[in-house]
Amino acid sequence: MSALGICVAAALLIAILAAPKFGLLARWQRHRAYRAKSRSEDALKHILAWQHRSKLATLESLAGTMGLRPAAVLRVVAGLQTAGWVESGAGGIALTASGERRALQVVRAHRLWERHLSDDANMPMGKLHQAAERAEHSLSREQVARLDAHLGHPQHDPHGDPIPRPDGTISALEAVSLNEWPVGRPALIAHLEDEPQAVFRQILLANLRPMQVVNVAESGPNHLVIETDGGRHRIERSVAANIHVREVRPQDALPADRTRLSDLAQGASGEVAALSPDCQGLSRRRLLDLGLTPGTRVEVALDNTFGDPRAFRVRGTTVALRRQQAEQVLIRPVRSPDGAEAAP
Amino acid sequence: MTSVSVTPQAVLDRSDELRRGLDGSFRDYMVASLYERAGELAGRSVREHGSGKWDFDQRIDRIVTSRWLGLPVMLLLLGAVFWVTILGANIPSQMLANAFFSVEAAAASWFESMGAPWWLTGLVWHGIFRGLAWVVSVMLPPMAIFFPVFTILEDLGYLPRVAFNLDWLFRKAGAHGKQALTMAMGFGCNAAGVTSTRIIDSPRERLLAILTNNFVPCNGRFPTLIMLAVIFVAAAFPPAVAALAAAASVVAVVLLGVCFTLGVSWALSRSLLSGEASAFTLEMPPYRRPSILRILYTSLIDRTIFVLGRAMLTAAPAGALIWILANVQAGDATLADRSIALLEPLGTAIGLDGVILLAYVIAIPANEIVVPTMLMCYLGGAMMMDITTYEQIREVLVGQHGWTLLTAVNLMLFSLLHNPCATTILTIWKETRSARWTALGALMPLGLAFLVCLATAQAVRLLPL
Repeated sequence: MSALGICVAAALLIAILAAPKFGLLARWQRHRAYRAKSRSEDALKHILAWQHRSKLATLESLAGTMGLRPAAVLRVVAGLQTAGWVESGAGGIALTASGERRALQVVRAHRLWERHLSDDANMPMGKLHQAAERAEHSLSREQVARLDAHLGHPQHDPHGDPIPRPDGTISALEAVSLNEWPVGRPALIAHLEDEPQAVFRQILLANLRPMQVVNVAESGPNHLVIETDGGRHRIERSVAANIHVREVRPQDALPADRTRLSDLAQGASGEVAALSPDCQGLSRRRLLDLGLTPGTRVEVALDNTFGDPRAFRVRGTTVALRRQQAEQVLIRPVRSPDGAEAAP
Repeated sequence: MTSVSVTPQAVLDRSDELRRGLDGSFRDYMVASLYERAGELAGRSVREHGSGKWDFDQRIDRIVTSRWLGLPVMLLLLGAVFWVTILGANIPSQMLANAFFSVEAAAASWFESMGAPWWLTGLVWHGIFRGLAWVVSVMLPPMAIFFPVFTILEDLGYLPRVAFNLDWLFRKAGAHGKQALTMAMGFGCNAAGVTSTRIIDSPRERLLAILTNNFVPCNGRFPTLIMLAVIFVAAAFPPAVAALAAAASVVAVVLLGVCFTLGVSWALSRSLLSGEASAFTLEMPPYRRPSILRILYTSLIDRTIFVLGRAMLTAAPAGALIWILANVQAGDATLADRSIALLEPLGTAIGLDGVILLAYVIAIPANEIVVPTMLMCYLGGAMMMDITTYEQIREVLVGQHGWTLLTAVNLMLFSLLHNPCATTILTIWKETRSARWTALGALMPLGLAFLVCLATAQAVRLLPL
């Protein structure tokens, strides 16, 4: 009886340890493989980032960014060399042509995933990077291609970085740091650097978004004062260095006499001027599909118990929008036939 | 002009190349030009005759979504649906039960006179047939009333207004306003409700809707709720308002389910499924005149017959199983008695009893058979007992098996909260393709049901009531 018990217990133990898919050994092996892959991909990204700044990465810089002991870094670099992705020289570590393509694939997965989280899941900008850091290592090339098609082949990630193309090429960012922009000339935010996180948090606190028009009102030795739709903000020059801007083109400029659809009073109407530039992806497409294209008449049709959402009459249909969506529709107030006027 | 041979690949390559040169706003221009062209075509060929229809719709909408009347109107409509169902289902249920049980008695005695062995007669007529008879007589009349009435509301275009009224609550819970629509589907069948969550684009909010759909009592559970409402609530009121009181108590249970949906969504969206509320846009279609023939067809054929068929498929083996449990002796007691005795302590602790828990175990494939199973267990191997009216059921439960108001309340709670049926669990797996979410979708409600019932039972026992 007890012998049988021992046999059963032993069999159970072996099963827990060595089961092909769910056993502890298999799990451990998978974990090791994933860790090795994510480490070497992180290293490739780091070397690529330094090359873009015309510098060569070193073992020390790798150890610093990745938080690894020197021995572990050596193992990672040796692995990359065996794969033919990097070459170590006197000045540091450089990517080979194939290594650069591989690194750009990882960056592509990262940026597309950020786009997906922002557009499809409405994840706030501050959380995107962390989530994408995890996802980038587990997406296959096929999945990345499907994601790209699903998102409509976007050119930029949510904070304005260009997304590498499938063939491993990438367009350059045509923008300068906000520090170099002259006072008094409107600029369009092209890119917000999301690393380091502490600086990025400062940028988000000032409520800055890509495609937003800013005006440098004041320029001090250590700070700038900028004006946006949302008001005036004082930012440190060290923060402004991570904000990249370019010239405002005519199609980027928003009409001057605009208000937001959410500000219309019950029964008032307006004419759509534009959709807010920080409304992108799925939510932008949804608003357009509902017929909220520039020039369309919109009228507030219904309130409800809680005052949110509200329903609007658009092109002969009734459409309900939450306040958050209605805020993204910029309108010009129109005097409606019964004399009601838009609220200020 | 020279002719160039163009291969599909060349076209794709060229379009890839051109796409890179486009700036992001080309979609805006495309949609705007499509709408412009459509508007131009419509302006040429469509003539509007005044705005009467729009004004009429507006007037209704101003009432059903108004600040003060919106929610009361919603509750009133829901109450009316249940009231009509309770009022109308009582008598046909009795007639069906009478008819079926006279068939059972006649057929069983015919089997005996033909010299069939006792176990064959028992298994076929007192097991399988009785299970089917209970399911049909308990379920068919309420469904044949509930589904058409509910379909009328759906066909009118009222449901999007409900989503509109409740969206604020769902937003506060971190969920999507369209979850109200999937919940409305859940009234019919939770499996259908889970499938209907495909209308929610955001995966996070879709999972919330999937995991909480179970807190809407489906049609398989309404007979339980309605029976309890009639036996325990209606009985306490004068006959004139009895049906109203019963309907109000069912509405209260549904509202409690909505509270649990919102509460669990809130908790999940701050723990396992953390994230922000996504965009919400909802089209509110114009009201339509319901087409009676289509309503009868969809509600009777697509829904009633479908749900009833599924219930009968599980009721037949369940009936056989109960008969076997009640008639096979293990030692000095039947299997049924033994399993009931095993479950009794757990059942008593949460204010129910062993029979109810056994009924829920047997009813995992389909909730519809909970009441029939319970009654068959209570009545045991006893031959034909004419239990056809609600008064007689009350006599069996309260008089012979010691049910109290606590039992009724906790059974309502347990029925509202407990694990989804096997079909729904399977549907959750099909929709999520994840064993973990499926397990959570099955076990979280079950745990919650036990906790809530335990809490009410202990509270009632501790308080000097």
